[in-house]
Amino acid sequence: MEFVERFKKSFNIEWVKLELLKTAYGKKETYMGQLDPRVIMIWYLIVSLLPWFTFNFVILIGLAIYTSVLALITRVSPLIIFLLAIGVIGELGYIFLVVFFMGGDFEAYASLITLTLKIIIMSIASIAAFASMDPEKLSDALLSFGVPAQFSFAVSYGYRMLPILMDEYQQIIQSFRLRGKAPEKAGFLKWKLVYYYVVIVIKAFYPMMLNTAKRTRTTVEALEVRGFSYSLHSEEAKKQKLSHLKIKGKEYQFIASSCVILTIIHVAGHLYYI
Amino acid sequence: MKPIIELNDVHFRYPGTKEHVLNGATLSIEQGEFLAVIGGNGSGKTTLCKTFNGLIPNYYTGDFSGSVMVGGADVSQATVSEMSFRVGYVYQDYENQLMRPTVLDDVSFAPLNFGDPDFMEKALWALETLGIEHLKDQSIWQLSGGQKHLAAIAGVLALDPQILIIDEPVAQLDPHHAKEIYKRLKVLQEDYGKTIIVIEHHTEFIADFCTDVLLVDQGQVLWKHPVRQGLLQIDDLLKRDIFPPQVTQAALNCDLALDAHNFPITIEDGQTYFKGLDFMKRERESESHTQEKEAIASLEDLSFSAKTLSNERKTILNKISTSFHSGERIALVGTNGAGKTSLMKCLTGMSKPTSGGGFIGEHSFKKGSLEGLSKEVSYIFQNPEEMFIQDSIKNDLTFFSHSREQDDSSFIEKLIQSFRLEEVLEKDGRLLSGGQQRRASMAIGLATNPTLLMLDEPTASLDVQSRKELIEILQDMDSVATVLVATHDMQLVAEWATRVIVMDQGEVTFDGTPREMFEYGHVWKRAGLVPPQIVQLSIELGMRPAALSVDEFTSRIKEGIPHGVC
Repeated sequence: MEFVERFKKSFNIEWVKLELLKTAYGKKETYMGQLDPRVIMIWYLIVSLLPWFTFNFVILIGLAIYTSVLALITRVSPLIIFLLAIGVIGELGYIFLVVFFMGGDFEAYASLITLTLKIIIMSIASIAAFASMDPEKLSDALLSFGVPAQFSFAVSYGYRMLPILMDEYQQIIQSFRLRGKAPEKAGFLKWKLVYYYVVIVIKAFYPMMLNTAKRTRTTVEALEVRGFSYSLHSEEAKKQKLSHLKIKGKEYQFIASSCVILTIIHVAGHLYYI
Repeated sequence: MKPIIELNDVHFRYPGTKEHVLNGATLSIEQGEFLAVIGGNGSGKTTLCKTFNGLIPNYYTGDFSGSVMVGGADVSQATVSEMSFRVGYVYQDYENQLMRPTVLDDVSFAPLNFGDPDFMEKALWALETLGIEHLKDQSIWQLSGGQKHLAAIAGVLALDPQILIIDEPVAQLDPHHAKEIYKRLKVLQEDYGKTIIVIEHHTEFIADFCTDVLLVDQGQVLWKHPVRQGLLQIDDLLKRDIFPPQVTQAALNCDLALDAHNFPITIEDGQTYFKGLDFMKRERESESHTQEKEAIASLEDLSFSAKTLSNERKTILNKISTSFHSGERIALVGTNGAGKTSLMKCLTGMSKPTSGGGFIGEHSFKKGSLEGLSKEVSYIFQNPEEMFIQDSIKNDLTFFSHSREQDDSSFIEKLIQSFRLEEVLEKDGRLLSGGQQRRASMAIGLATNPTLLMLDEPTASLDVQSRKELIEILQDMDSVATVLVATHDMQLVAEWATRVIVMDQGEVTFDGTPREMFEYGHVWKRAGLVPPQIVQLSIELGMRPAALSVDEFTSRIKEGIPHGVC
């Protein structure tokens, strides 16, 4: 029970909130975080597409290790890794069950594993790329790729609203609990308690959305006053907004080293084909 | 000199409504004024100010007639974006006008949108002018209320407009930070020649900082006077539930032959005006009789700490030990971030103490669940909207008893009557006015029939009339439950509380009666509090102990006539 108590103490809603915020706002000083966001986005596209052109197990393992190392460098939050791990373990378990009941042999299993590995590489690459990028950079990169300004602004505004929404949501849930009543008997596997929370979590959603919607009236007006709609049609504004994006030595270094590593992985894959 | 803003017979009706909000408003404002716009609820103050920057009629395309000239240009011919170079607008809910994740990003947002190559310099200039450069790399959501407000002002200042409009600058701030904001605005007016327009009903601030006052009534401009003359139109003000500064009220109450021209409006005025008066000593209040009363809750070494973004543990509450007794009216005071809300959250079970704890009834703060503690404790959120979790006030009121399958209908009926909620029962709480929302949220909190009722900043952003109503409700509350109020409103503390707990950096630095607290200057100074004007005046006049209300002040005048009269 001691362990359960400690677990409850350190892993609660507060912790989840903090981890999400850290993922969104923290670490600008990491290696990937300092690079030009456009380079990272292109890198991400390439690395997440590469696995789909090969069935070479060595290459896939190589890519998985490469992306994992980069993800480690960017110090991804344990929460995100935990979520990813759950996904992967679930996937493997599910493959195992399917293969077992359908009477497949090792061959079938291996091919499904390959598929899983590809998905893992994509996920880790996206974690490495997006967790290191702060939302502003992401939004600027999208803008420079020609995505409409409304959309790229929505990305950065979403991040700005995230903590507010989470606070609001948490308080509404607490408001429900403050006036509600938890079931006295938890039931088999605490299902009654779980049901009680699930209902609250769903119901709390509506007041949160209504409260937030009410607040955005000011936001919409202020967007107008602060010239946002003007900037949508102004080339000059876009140019100024993106003026800080520059590809310099660091970026070239990154591009070069990525090319070298990816080539080595591919060459190694063909030499030591399993 | 040509006025910078000129309105001539302006009428306006919002689309989809029947009544005109502006009914022939005519006014002129000179450059360099520091103007306070006052008026009762729904008099059209905000709507009037929105014509200055062209939101009306260019953004709200209602029924508009009349002319608005700003800096010599006709507003109806200009776009909203063009106008924002001349007029900056800071909303009452300024948090929602901050769009970007960090301060510098947000402040440079407007110049950047207009494609200004010097956007960074302009943003830095605005931050520097307001003295908040050190915040430039902070995330918006990490800022305190006062800092956010300054950031919002910097955001409109970055376009270097001639005119700044600020809607209720101090509604959500503690008096210390409120004063800070006004001081910065004063600098903008005096040193940079800006025209500052505030919508304000705190007459103390108007007296200290503004140069002119404009009274709006039913969509018309009733008058515009220099500040002293304006604030002395007592009848006009009182009719609209605007109270003159406390020193002015004191002078009015004096029942002496008074010279209307020398009426005091600031503390300095008051000092010369009331000089030479002799005050009756006040008997020490009989030792607080709370000891005999039954203790309803006790806190023992309650500590609370939380993790910050940088993974450090920060102590928020440090070993708090005290007890609450039945029938007490407790005010919990301290600046933003002193730990008031955290303490309340620990008492409701929303946060668990990291060490120590205590009991209320049979429930432990440390081990008890939120649902268990809520039988004894009720907490009313600072933002009333967070209390509205059902689609009508009626359902919100009965939520507690329904979830417990109790029949409380007669009790609920009584609450509805005493909080005058009959008319809004079927409405969603979010659609009510500020005062109604506050009343409803209090009724909802009381519907759980608690022994300890806690309110977080109940008077923040309330207009004067609703505030008065709220205090009346609070006066009757002590027969029902022990009330704990976290507040910045020192007038509420002085006139309502029987006990004050001062918090500073997570520790209790004082626990006693309001009179004692205001007596000990070092206590409130250290905690960053600002006593009500009448208390400050009494202290300056050497009155011991200081008077807590205007009535007390005047009733204790023993002899002599105010200096200012002769």
